[in-house]
Amino acid sequence: MSAAATHHDQAHDHADEHGHAHVPTYLETLRANRLGLWLFCISEVFLFVALIVVRFALWGNTRPELDQALGLATTSVLLISSYFMVRAEVAIAHGDRDKFLNSLLVTFVLGVLFLVGVVGFEWGLFGITFGDHELLKPTDGAFGAVFFGMTGIHALHVVSGLFLILMVYINGRRGGYSTERHWGVEACAIYWHYVDVVWVFFYPILYLIGTPVH
Amino acid sequence: MEEKKSQAYQLIFTIFLVLAFLTLVEYLVSQYLDSMILLLLIAFLKAGLIVNYFMHVYRLWREESH
Amino acid sequence: MRQLRILFSLGIVWALIGQAAGAAAGLFLVRAIRAAANLPPSAEAELVIAAMFSVFGSLLFSGVLTDWLKWCVGIETPLRHGDPDGLPAWTRYFSVDYNHKVIGIQYGVTSIIVLLVGGILAIIFRLELSWPGEQFLTPESYNTIFSAHGIIMIASILLGVGAMVNYLVPMMIGASDMAFPRLNAFSYWIAIPSAILIMAGMVIGDGWETGWVGYPPLSTIDGSPLGTQLFILGFYFNGFSSIAGAINLLVTVMIMRAKGMSLWRMPIFVWAAIATSLIQFTATQTVGAAQLMVTTQRVLKLGFFDPTFSNGLGWPAGDPILYQHLFWFYSHPVVYVFVLPGLGIISELLPVYSRKPLFGYKWVALSSLGIALVGFLVWAHHMFTSGMADVLRIPFMLATLLVAIPTGVKFFSWVGTIWGGKVTFETPMLFVLGAISVFLIGGLTGPILGTIPTDLHLHDSYWVVGHFHATMFGGFVFPFFAAIYYWYPKITGHMYNERLGKIHFWLMTPGFWLMSLGQMQVGIWGMRRRIYDYDPALGIEFTHALITLSALIIGWSVLIMIYNLITSSRTERVAAINPWGSRSPEWQVPSPLPEFNYYRPFEVVGEPYDYGVPGSVYVRDVPAAGD
Ligand code: HEM
Ligand SMILES: [Cu+2]
Repeated sequence: MSAAATHHDQAHDHADEHGHAHVPTYLETLRANRLGLWLFCISEVFLFVALIVVRFALWGNTRPELDQALGLATTSVLLISSYFMVRAEVAIAHGDRDKFLNSLLVTFVLGVLFLVGVVGFEWGLFGITFGDHELLKPTDGAFGAVFFGMTGIHALHVVSGLFLILMVYINGRRGGYSTERHWGVEACAIYWHYVDVVWVFFYPILYLIGTPVH
Repeated sequence: MEEKKSQAYQLIFTIFLVLAFLTLVEYLVSQYLDSMILLLLIAFLKAGLIVNYFMHVYRLWREESH
Repeated sequence: MRQLRILFSLGIVWALIGQAAGAAAGLFLVRAIRAAANLPPSAEAELVIAAMFSVFGSLLFSGVLTDWLKWCVGIETPLRHGDPDGLPAWTRYFSVDYNHKVIGIQYGVTSIIVLLVGGILAIIFRLELSWPGEQFLTPESYNTIFSAHGIIMIASILLGVGAMVNYLVPMMIGASDMAFPRLNAFSYWIAIPSAILIMAGMVIGDGWETGWVGYPPLSTIDGSPLGTQLFILGFYFNGFSSIAGAINLLVTVMIMRAKGMSLWRMPIFVWAAIATSLIQFTATQTVGAAQLMVTTQRVLKLGFFDPTFSNGLGWPAGDPILYQHLFWFYSHPVVYVFVLPGLGIISELLPVYSRKPLFGYKWVALSSLGIALVGFLVWAHHMFTSGMADVLRIPFMLATLLVAIPTGVKFFSWVGTIWGGKVTFETPMLFVLGAISVFLIGGLTGPILGTIPTDLHLHDSYWVVGHFHATMFGGFVFPFFAAIYYWYPKITGHMYNERLGKIHFWLMTPGFWLMSLGQMQVGIWGMRRRIYDYDPALGIEFTHALITLSALIIGWSVLIMIYNLITSSRTERVAAINPWGSRSPEWQVPSPLPEFNYYRPFEVVGEPYDYGVPGSVYVRDVPAAGD
């Protein structure tokens, strides 16, 4: 593994009074970056699993009554945004610059929509209720704490993902990425999909599993 | 080149359709079967698809040439 | 004028200014928002936001984020290296620097400073405990001081681990730096504001009373001091440092090893660093989650750990024991973060001073991983008296006792290495042997705590205090000091003063034995931990006085070391290239190392620890031609 990395095609070495430095090629840097980002993802798994464990410890086989239509809607919105994200990445990798930028924009908008759904409606920021049940409050014991805790941590990740997308969009418009060199896009995409994967688990765990308590 | 490109688009769209379908199945399972095991299995399946096809985890050990 | 210019070029000065500015900004923001929304002022909310802003302000002003912020707007920045332009060379140690050796020294020096702060606190409450009755500390201030001592010492250990890992690993594997130098700097510079938050918790907001564990309900109950919150947040932000540093290390080892350095030919310390990082980058997240939950419970009244909730509809309430699970899921493994690098140092140095191969290299390497993995399965041994499902007690007990196996492997390897060797007793070796003796005390007292029937009696007694001080001194402090003496010539190019080194050792080691055994004795005789007073009828007054005395001796001996380290680089002779006759690559070239560590890349052609094996070579320069 190591030998392959140090003796790559275009790797060049430079030596001066500072000693010998191996200047990594783009591919080597890419490899390091990917590894680093994936390790970060694994690290965060422990955060989300901790939250899931808390949910099962406190809720057991019950759950609060939440609006099912809203849950399905936000989940779908995030999934669609994930699709547009990968579409953007495929586009830049094949030189479709316009498609790349447009897909990115769609991803961003859908991401914002997701936030509106969860934070705006589900958290009751807009004060709108659906159906006959009342909105969950953060102070509603373990139901409130876990629901707001889990969606809150996830929302923080969505916000940081949106920030990344925006940056990649701005840099992309300036022509910052090429078919061969677009680690920025790839990193942003991996992160965004990761946020989606987390929701893939959070959705059933918060909305579907267990019997609702009225 | 062009062909490879449209293949790539097709692939991600197919995966997206599968994911959407699975999401629907999840919802229906919860409404009619209420099986936690099944729901978790579907979640893992969805996550696996995303990790493999959207996040390209295999790039960690298999470099593709551009 | 020039002095002032230099002063304001230092990153550390700006980090402090930034922290103050951030805190002020956060405070102002919360006040303004709450006033605008017609809410009553909330000290808790102000504190939390101010603390978060203060960390960000510190990072922003110190300059670690600058390159990344530029990247955000598409500006590429080359990696800065070498001495700063137009400033004295020493200033780079006080500013953001990307070289792993500089960062390693920064970690190390900070670690020792923080160690001194923690040590002073220890001396203060040891004096209080020298006699029964209330001396000069109130019960509340006693609580604050022992709590602060615990968490500050942990911060110091984590910094010390960062120092060893950062300084040694790239050098040992022949890399010119870590894989992500900017992230490396970030890991260090976020540890500073976190440590400051913790220390601020002692002064601002009346300290805190929870010990280093921060259990609810004591940490979440209404009216608990605001200092609790600062301690929790400092703890939380320190986690960023651990996680980022660990990821960086893992990538570095995975892809930047020298030619020919297969996994089984890495210096043994690198294995320890890997095991440590595996724990740090995973377990830290769960304690982070727990600290966030405590914070939300305090500020937003989310009832994660509040069992009193009831709305008459059968909705579930929170559970304080849950915190203990989340906390110990991190905090048991983290004790191995404290000790694995130190145990690695012991295995690294023993062969050098015994002139014999390391006994059972592969087993030692795997035992580090084994300890790290089994360490994840034993956390509830801290909770035998807290109440948990009966079916869980025995498995956790058995898993706990299982840890003794990989730990035993290390002991056997050490004994096997020394056995029949030509042992010499320079200061680093003395500290290694001291480490083994002390860690043995800690290791033997552990299984007694891990066994439920005995733990029920010993839990929360001074026996536990004796146990973990022995493990941490034997597993971290002694080996850390050994490492400092051992690599001092590499770092400064000068030898340290051997006489002072030996005095340090001969004060500290018997001092520690006395302290440790004394703590265990008073524990068995009925002394509880975390309390400022005890009943003279227990008959433990004399031992308590002895413990305080030995704490003072240990403190003085550390001061001798610091004096030695400061003066020797000016007064002592220039070090030979390889004063210890080591086979490790960094000792084959003159000290100190250049910016990028080596003038010529080397390749690994043999086994690392074949001391005394004729004709065996570990590393040699890569032949110039044919690259
Ligand atoms: C031989 C293996 C070990 C065993 C079986 C063991 C077992 C235990 C047990 C059962 C306790 C809980 C005692 C109680 O509160 O009732 C404990 C406490 C502790 N141990 Fe160990 N231990 C071992 C090694 C270590 C090591 C290597 C460290 C490293 C620093 C360590 C650090 C601690 C600390 C810090 C505490 C006290 C935590 C607190 O309550 O504040 N132990 N140990
Ligand atoms: Cu433990």
